[in-house]
Amino acid sequence: MSGFTTSNVYRIIVTGSLLALLGACSATTTIDEYRPSGEPIELNADERVVVLGRRDAGHYETDREFIDCVAKQMKGADIGILPEAQFIDSIYPWFEPRTAPKGLPRLKKLMRTPSIKTVVDNQSVRYLVWLDGSTETLDKGGSISCAIGPGGGGCFGFAQWNKLSVYEAIVWDLQDLQEMGRLRVDSEGTSYLIGAVAPIPLLTPVKSDACSSLGKQLKTFFSAS
Amino acid sequence: MLSKNMSYKKTYKESCKNISKISLALIVLVILGGCSSSASVQVDRTFPKVLGEPKSVTASIVFLEDFSTFVAQPNENTVIDIGTAQVEVLQNAFAGLFNDVEFVTSRDQITNTKGLVITPSVREVQVSTPSDNYLNVFEVWIKYNLEIQSVDGDPIDSWFMPAYGKTPDTFMYSKPKAIEEAAVIALRDAGAKLMLDFYRIPAIYGWMMERQILEGSQ
Repeated sequence: MSGFTTSNVYRIIVTGSLLALLGACSATTTIDEYRPSGEPIELNADERVVVLGRRDAGHYETDREFIDCVAKQMKGADIGILPEAQFIDSIYPWFEPRTAPKGLPRLKKLMRTPSIKTVVDNQSVRYLVWLDGSTETLDKGGSISCAIGPGGGGCFGFAQWNKLSVYEAIVWDLQDLQEMGRLRVDSEGTSYLIGAVAPIPLLTPVKSDACSSLGKQLKTFFSAS
Repeated sequence: MLSKNMSYKKTYKESCKNISKISLALIVLVILGGCSSSASVQVDRTFPKVLGEPKSVTASIVFLEDFSTFVAQPNENTVIDIGTAQVEVLQNAFAGLFNDVEFVTSRDQITNTKGLVITPSVREVQVSTPSDNYLNVFEVWIKYNLEIQSVDGDPIDSWFMPAYGKTPDTFMYSKPKAIEEAAVIALRDAGAKLMLDFYRIPAIYGWMMERQILEGSQ
């Protein structure tokens, strides 16, 4: 008779806890979308999109890694993407944090300058996607300590933290100089670190979830022809 | 045969131990290097040409040796060599502002007989690290001063021009790398500030109106 021995009960508890934690390691993501028309934007084969990060806020900056990630997601859908750095350098200094247009009136003024218009047209940039946001750690709890000695070492304890990613994407048409729509993604999740001799991280990919969700949704804005 | 085999095993074990010790020492050194509180930074980048529509103004830009070899020491642990980089940035920016521009290293070398003479200098460089600002960013401020005169030596203005740069975050950056990154952004900002605001300086605007050079800056 096998029955419920103490070791079996421990195993079940440990497995159950790990499964519960692993199950909890997924981000909750919400996307809000606004666009004047339900139809996707038709992109010709020679038209390209550039994804740019807003960098004028004081306490955060939309990081390049996130922008590259979103651009990569969109590239997968046969949408011609111009790298951010290439576009900003080609049009320097008009898309630096100090000079980048924050609204359509300023964009219209910039695009009236012949040299700027020529550079934009030469690179076949039709749409500009502004990304603004950041990922922040909200709450931290628990504690974990590690020690090392002549006989060996290890970590003991339990720590957890919540992360929240909030990003907004605004799509501008550089030809018609109008806003084509906007998207907002909120992604939240908890990560854990268990110290059971070896530290076991159970990380929730909050930022990458926000990136893939935003990238997928942006893809639906455009249709490559 | 047995003893030969044993001595081979012993040598193999010892070399493995040595490799482990060296690896451990290297890891500790890398970690300690990463934690180092001092930073010596050489800004060694190329900066893009500006996209500007130069006005029909003649200007002579004097990059004194102090300026072109400038090494900032914002605090006792940080040294930033920005001399070469700032000359490149300002050369690009001035070339985007003026139709006819010459760059010289002293006032005696000026060949223009009309227009502006601009001598840039650095007033101060400040650095802020995450331990100072409690933010996850490194920041650099470069405060420039432009002495603007006519070619005859009449003072037109002394223009204070601050530039600012910060890193997106500190993740995966060593302190020198992060300060270099922030300094590069600050230098780019200096170029942007110059392009955006130069023709908005009231004294320059007045000087241009006197000479009937039409307004039409960005």
